[in-house]
Amino acid sequence: MSEHDKIRELLALAAAGALTAAEEKQVAEHVRSCVSCSNELDAWRPIASELRRLPTPQPSSWLVQATLARAEAKLTEQAEHDWNRRVMIAVVAFAWLLTIASWPVFHSVSGRFGSLLEPQFSPTQFGQTWISFAAFTALGWLAGGVAAVMLAIRQRGERRLA
Amino acid sequence: MDADADVVRLRRGDLNALSELITRYQNRLYRYLLRMVQQPAEAEDLFQQTWLRVVEKIRSFDASRNFDAWLFTLARNLAIDHLRRIRPQSLDEPLANSWHSETVADRIPCKDHTPLDHALAAERRTEISEAMAGLPMMYREVLTLRFEDEMKIEEIAQVTAVPVSTVKSRLRRSLEQLRYALEARYPGGTWQ
Repeated sequence: MSEHDKIRELLALAAAGALTAAEEKQVAEHVRSCVSCSNELDAWRPIASELRRLPTPQPSSWLVQATLARAEAKLTEQAEHDWNRRVMIAVVAFAWLLTIASWPVFHSVSGRFGSLLEPQFSPTQFGQTWISFAAFTALGWLAGGVAAVMLAIRQRGERRLA
Repeated sequence: MDADADVVRLRRGDLNALSELITRYQNRLYRYLLRMVQQPAEAEDLFQQTWLRVVEKIRSFDASRNFDAWLFTLARNLAIDHLRRIRPQSLDEPLANSWHSETVADRIPCKDHTPLDHALAAERRTEISEAMAGLPMMYREVLTLRFEDEMKIEEIAQVTAVPVSTVKSRLRRSLEQLRYALEARYPGGTWQ
């Protein structure tokens, strides 16, 4: 491809202002000495100029207000969701802490009750205490889980109605 | 306040920042979507979807990046998904029906001095709008981003997710097709 052909391919981009500084310089130098390319560049200029001046279609104020309202509702919903998640994490952490902390208390109290009935310590009694504690904890977690699921279902239903 | 500051505030959940961003970008975004899908009702729906997507994804937005490019990329992805679903042929074929609708803003006189100048300029714009509407979606897109949004080639490359060289060749081809369409539609007119 000759230098002339290469420059000719750049003329549309030159009118679009899409050339590098080096390419622009190259085009400017060539156009000074080439009438054909100079005319071709002149033909591109009004097209580029009119494209820059095309009227901008504007969205209606109703559309902007509706978009803002929907986006704000989404933002609020997200903030609420984040807050719920943080609360849930804190509640679960607290529940575990309480479970771990209650073990020695539970063991101590049940041990005392146990010792009233059976003064001698036995591995069987320890095992029973542990099973009771595990059952008590599992029941607590199950109740908490069911409550959380019911709350989530209710919240989803309310959102749907809203 | 600049867009970057509004973006930082929006990331913290500031509702006012959202309102300011929508106000700032409403015309450019709507125009871009309208040029892409060419149907006002579809552009309006995509406009809403784009802002909902912004709210959804704003936390994953890298603040060191260009917000304009990110916003237009979200809009572009939604528009392309929409076109792929509704009119898959429009992604690579020129549309048979050209879109052109005049708004109140279109009728506001610009810098032209005489009524004749104004009438001629309006006519040229109508011609160019109609010719542009007949181009394939990818060509309309690159033309609107370059000339109407005045994006740099690098920014267009970011939005369209293609290399700079591809943007340049797409821009050149779109201008050539536009000129060809103008010359074919209006033989002997001002475009030759």
